[in-house]
Amino acid sequence: MSRRSFLRSTALLSAGVAAVAAGLAPLRKLGEFGSVDEFLQKYYKELTPEEMKAVIARIEAEVERQYGIRPHVRDYKPMNGVEFVYALNLTRCVGCRKCVHSCVAENNQSRNPEIQYIRVLKMPNDGTFDVDKGDHNYAPKSVPEPGFFYMPVQCQQCKNPPCVKVCPVKATWQEPDGITVIDYNWCIGCRYCEAACPYFARRFNFTTPSIPKEQINTNMSYLGNRPRYKGVMEKCHFCTQRTRAGRYPACVEVCPTGSRKFGNILDPESEVSYILKTKRVYVLKPELGTLPRFFYYFDI
Amino acid sequence: MTPNRKTCLVLALLTLTFVALAYAFVLTPARQGFIVLSPLVPKDVLAIVPGTIRVSAAQLVKSGGDVSGLDCYACHHQDSPPEVKYDANHEIVLPKEHADLIISMRNCVECHPPNDPVKLEYDDSGNVKMPKAHEGLLAMGHGRSTRNNNNYCFNCHDRDQLNQLHTPDGDKLKFDQATQLCAGCHGTTYRDWMAGAHGRTSGHWDRTAGPFERQECTSCHDPHAPRFTGLIPMPGPHLLHPVPARKPQPESSDE
Repeated sequence: MSRRSFLRSTALLSAGVAAVAAGLAPLRKLGEFGSVDEFLQKYYKELTPEEMKAVIARIEAEVERQYGIRPHVRDYKPMNGVEFVYALNLTRCVGCRKCVHSCVAENNQSRNPEIQYIRVLKMPNDGTFDVDKGDHNYAPKSVPEPGFFYMPVQCQQCKNPPCVKVCPVKATWQEPDGITVIDYNWCIGCRYCEAACPYFARRFNFTTPSIPKEQINTNMSYLGNRPRYKGVMEKCHFCTQRTRAGRYPACVEVCPTGSRKFGNILDPESEVSYILKTKRVYVLKPELGTLPRFFYYFDI
Repeated sequence: MTPNRKTCLVLALLTLTFVALAYAFVLTPARQGFIVLSPLVPKDVLAIVPGTIRVSAAQLVKSGGDVSGLDCYACHHQDSPPEVKYDANHEIVLPKEHADLIISMRNCVECHPPNDPVKLEYDDSGNVKMPKAHEGLLAMGHGRSTRNNNNYCFNCHDRDQLNQLHTPDGDKLKFDQATQLCAGCHGTTYRDWMAGAHGRTSGHWDRTAGPFERQECTSCHDPHAPRFTGLIPMPGPHLLHPVPARKPQPESSDE
């Protein structure tokens, strides 16, 4: 090998190595997204209590690193003899969207772009109940507007959920208390469930959620409102961090007209039992056979 | 080995270009403005808008709200003022018996002393004339039909003591027992309310886990004009693209 060809090939080789290193440089940031522990985490239903404790400690540390605030993550389990049912009074709802934003605040949804679980449909009061005539984006000075009624739509917590059937990795399932939950560490982000849901109840995190530190709700549940990752699905989970501790969901407490009712259908004394016994109720898209646990009703 | 000069040159150029591109890629920060920023919705707007929802004194104090507008003389007579106690922050300490008190800026007793019956004046069609002093104080609108309305003071208020209520049977009630009076006419609504199906509820659905709070009628409804006024709607869905134009609605009520 001549001296010239040695120098040339050395220069080329070092330039090539530098180029490869520079090209791979963005990968250094990958450390922010996941650790080996997260990658090797087992399926939720296979975790022993000790492993769950370690997982929760890891998630708390992750959230603290990302948002600068120490959360309290718990793995709330379904309660025995409880099946949650939601009832919404269409006669009373005025379409003020307070439920939408209390939900965002309670459940640590991404603020930018803002992910909302509840969509309020402004529907013409023409007796057709045609969802196609509904309008999501109404913004008058004052609600309710004459000639319209308002129908909030969120996850209907179906008894026969199409979203669970299509999940290829079983990252979403129905719990014994009727709540369909997602394990954000198991979801691969294929969005099949979003396509399968007839109620447009599932949302996808296209970017890493951005939440201001002072707006983080530190009472978190593993299957509920802990901050989500980029590229996973999320949905309404009836505020598991509240309802599995016996409290009402955030949307029920904030509703200024008392349109939203929530409770245990297995308890004959609960308000939802009373409503299902005495009121005229209907479910959205009954022809699909999804058997929602979310009932709309009228007062008269 | 005879290195092909041309091949070497092309390879070197390609390498240089790649290095330059990689360098530029690493240095360029993430593009701002790619996603449309929308203003954050502050948490405090979720609080109930005063004027549409009435707050009881206990709730106001509990939530750390402004109690400076609290007027004790709305009920107490000025000749016998109540003993007012203040805490370390010079804020009024509310007595326990006021826990269910509804804050009212209206003071019946100030103008209508007890045991001084109000004389009503009627117009030609038999309706009560609204005194001028009530303008801006009381908006009457109980009952929507003109034939069957409930715009008469003494249907609910006691004729001798305006800061007391009376049922059609003649039983006297305090203001904080108003729900029983409302139930006299609105029986079906009262039945729903008792079952938890009417009105706001907060606290615990599981009664064994903690307290459950139910609002009284007058916490939400102004008894003089029970129908709700309009609310300002909060922002709608976050859109990356402008709202597509919609066909004009047959009944547009946007002002």
